[in-house]
Amino acid sequence: MATSYYSVDSILTDSQKAPCRFEVSVPLLTPLNNGAAIENGTKLELPFWMGGMLALSRPAGPSSATLASVDMPSELGPRVLNALKADPKSVDIKAQARWFYGLGERMLDLFDDEEISEVLNDTFKQRALEIADKAANTRTTQQGGDEFLRGLEESERRLFRAAHNGTNDVKKWFDSSSRA
Amino acid sequence: MALLLPPGLTPNEVGFLCEMELVTVIPRQRLDSLELLGGPTQALKPPFPAQLPLWLALLLKRQKRANISPPPWLSVPALEQILDFETDNNFAGVFSPSPDLPAPRSTVSMPEDPYLSNHTLEMSAPFLKDSSTSRAQENALPYHWLELSHLLLTHAADDFDDPDSVRRLVRDLREVRMSKLRKGFKVLESSAGVKMNGVGGMEIAEVRGFVGGVVDGLRRINRSREEARREQMDEGGVGYGSSGRYADDDDEMEL
Repeated sequence: MATSYYSVDSILTDSQKAPCRFEVSVPLLTPLNNGAAIENGTKLELPFWMGGMLALSRPAGPSSATLASVDMPSELGPRVLNALKADPKSVDIKAQARWFYGLGERMLDLFDDEEISEVLNDTFKQRALEIADKAANTRTTQQGGDEFLRGLEESERRLFRAAHNGTNDVKKWFDSSSRA
Repeated sequence: MALLLPPGLTPNEVGFLCEMELVTVIPRQRLDSLELLGGPTQALKPPFPAQLPLWLALLLKRQKRANISPPPWLSVPALEQILDFETDNNFAGVFSPSPDLPAPRSTVSMPEDPYLSNHTLEMSAPFLKDSSTSRAQENALPYHWLELSHLLLTHAADDFDDPDSVRRLVRDLREVRMSKLRKGFKVLESSAGVKMNGVGGMEIAEVRGFVGGVVDGLRRINRSREEARREQMDEGGVGYGSSGRYADDDDEMEL
């Protein structure tokens, strides 16, 4: 797993929720389900760090079943994927998940889904180009507020900042070196 | 743990390093050789040109003790020629080449040492000699072209024949090359890169954060796919998923 112990981002990425279905009844985990019993087949939205753990670990005993199975979250469901395929730049992916790519990355660790991987790859690339353009001339984007920029998820934000800082630092050096 | 500074040189640092480039000055006053950390400087004797580091040259220039003679590539005809190359459609994807690399020097302290032999001494971009002195190559932009031309044009503009045209040409060049870099972003891939031969230090510092971020992001997204491919190659197409199968029998779930 590409998780870094000290990285706040990776902790927050792991705390995003994914739908899980319990395969065994777990009487002692009732607090997870607002006090209701967790039976075989109960569906719950669990943070990924817990869901992934439950999906991978198997109880001791003769049964070969895992504790729970993780389903693809709706953020990566067909509706979103189709929208991304149609036009990556017009989708507000931050509304889907704040660490959208992180979520996709975690899910791809569990599922081998060629389609999702393809769509995410394409989306990231096309949006990155748009980010580079927007970062180059921030004056227009700062005033009206940009629909696209508001829909950036966290790693894209970071990208925007990196691109913007690059040009800005060069500009700053030019200014400061003309003065001295 | 997260490092506070991003990897690579910041534009400030690139600008600072640029001031170590040697430039040619025409002194107006005598000055004995100075013992600097990087070695002694040339003694200045008024009518004869000498090579000095840029920072010292700018200092002397400010005190009106010397004039800087701009490198040959920082002249109107040379820049026009380079700009022609950059805007030529036949060379749409390439940057104008950096100066020719010099032949390795023959003065090696231990000629028989294989690690110090001539053909292993590779000279490359930031360490080229005479890239900005009056002996520089005329038809190529050296590594620190942008920083150096900016410093010379702002602090020693009166040493140019036609500073305004030079300034305009430098700005044109910068924009053309930047747009080429931007076009290069389109082909970024988790495993592919942009060919950046001939790109200057400041230009690299400007785009490093973004390009690094994009490649890193793509690598993360493609990681699982990459791992699956590698596993397939390792095991001849047989995954070891059977032991780690999920209970809901999804065939695609291999670990």
